Amino acid sequence: MAIITISRGSYSKGKEVAEKIASHLGYQCISRDVLLDASERFHIPEMKLVRAIHDAPSILDRFSHSQQAFIAYIRYALVQHVKEDNVVYHGLAGHLLLKGIPNVLKVRVIADLADRVRAEMKREKISEKAARSLLLKDDEERRKWTQALYGVDSRDSSLYDLVVHVHKLTVDDAVEIISDAVQRTPFKTTKQVRQKMEDYGLACQLKAGLAHSFDNVGVKSEYGNVLVYARGNEHYVQRVRKKAREVTGKMSGVNELEVHAVQKLPLDVV
Amino acid sequence: MSIILISSDHYETGRSVAQQVAEATGYALLDRKILGEVASASQIPEPKILKSLEPSSATIGFSAKVRNRALASIQGAVMARLLDDKVVCYGLAAHLYVLGVSHALKIRILCNEEKRVSLMATERKVGIEKARKLLKKQEAAQKRWSLDVFGRDETNPSLYDMVISLSQIEPDEAAKVIVETVSYRKFQSMTYSIKCLRDRELSIRVKLALMEKYNDVDVTADGATVVVRTKSLKREKRKKAESIRALAGQIPGVSYVEVHTVKDIFRQAAESA
Repeated sequence: MAIITISRGSYSKGKEVAEKIASHLGYQCISRDVLLDASERFHIPEMKLVRAIHDAPSILDRFSHSQQAFIAYIRYALVQHVKEDNVVYHGLAGHLLLKGIPNVLKVRVIADLADRVRAEMKREKISEKAARSLLLKDDEERRKWTQALYGVDSRDSSLYDLVVHVHKLTVDDAVEIISDAVQRTPFKTTKQVRQKMEDYGLACQLKAGLAHSFDNVGVKSEYGNVLVYARGNEHYVQRVRKKAREVTGKMSGVNELEVHAVQKLPLDVV
Repeated sequence: MSIILISSDHYETGRSVAQQVAEATGYALLDRKILGEVASASQIPEPKILKSLEPSSATIGFSAKVRNRALASIQGAVMARLLDDKVVCYGLAAHLYVLGVSHALKIRILCNEEKRVSLMATERKVGIEKARKLLKKQEAAQKRWSLDVFGRDETNPSLYDMVISLSQIEPDEAAKVIVETVSYRKFQSMTYSIKCLRDRELSIRVKLALMEKYNDVDVTADGATVVVRTKSLKREKRKKAESIRALAGQIPGVSYVEVHTVKDIFRQAAESA
């Protein structure tokens, strides 16, 4: 009973690993489904969501908060899936989007650049130079995205619980190692973990409801008591309070709602 | 059987995992305890041998010549022990120089960052924020050291078969994952992988013997054939090649020595100036 996120570069065999783990453990395997759900629920074209989660923010994006809003929608859709438990997610940024859930086994699957180039050449029928250039560009885009939005380097191994190098170790070995690791104590879904998942789900739902209109807000929930932190003047905080009441009125599982004005958003908020 | 090479961003944590792996597999633990033997064999004081494995020696302290000899001596001792098989090697930078050996399982252990910050704060008697900055500085120095000395970034995960972070996984669980992984058939030694290790051991032995006279040699071995690459002036090329052949030929296990020299353009420019 756990959640596994697989982070991967293009042609790193991460997708194959994820699908095999899901089949081996009898888990649900999700990736693009999350974007489709978010697109359907929030009426945003899927392409815009893909760009929000894939492309590094441009200068203009940094002044608008649409990218942040799209990420809030994607996170909400992802949390709805993982709340069911027993899930393998191999879409983009799972390890960052599910940061607030404790029993997530965060895995990165890597492969040598030469192997990746060969795979891309074969599939796309392009030259070695073109394949290499595309892969490096894609990797750089990922790095910039995580750096701009989360202030971390996607290549930093400490962001993950396990990094498996598929080279000497095969896809089947990686499947065995990850399936074995996820059975270990820290990744079991306990009663406390389930409560945290419920709280994280509430926070993500409210954040998605606020994200379209407000960018300087952070949300967290403790046992159904939802706390909203807003950074702005009194008028701004009043507007956030009104909207938060409206959104939580339609949500189930919320006991209390508090809205606080702050100078700096706390680190543990969504 | 196989060999396990473990590296870590925190010495004590990595060592504790290496110890647990050694106990669980029944393998010998090869760690910095061998530095005493290395010191007496190389006649370099033990503190200097230890210093060669630490970042500070890349910029300050003793000369590059002594550092290179100290590192080659460590490599020689490590390679010789690894040939015995069934070894867990830790704290001797083996992940940076044992390359192309298929029965070597390479693992990096990452200690929880907050734990490292708190340990640093206690050790240096500083606040948490100051400790965090010191830790970042130390990490950058360690990365520079591995690039400077071995030309490889030891934080690069593709250098390893697996990286395990101890943020959620307990050290004993990490040890179990390693023990399970090393039992895979691909980590069993084969005639070819043992030959690769033997070749590397011989090349480092030859390099060590040549280093007493020549510091600019690069040695590779294939069976009993040794290839030495060095720089030299045109006028001393023949004499240097003969001397290298004579020195290397005395090493047990060497039957043929090939010497490749390239023009030492810097010395030539200095002499013609």
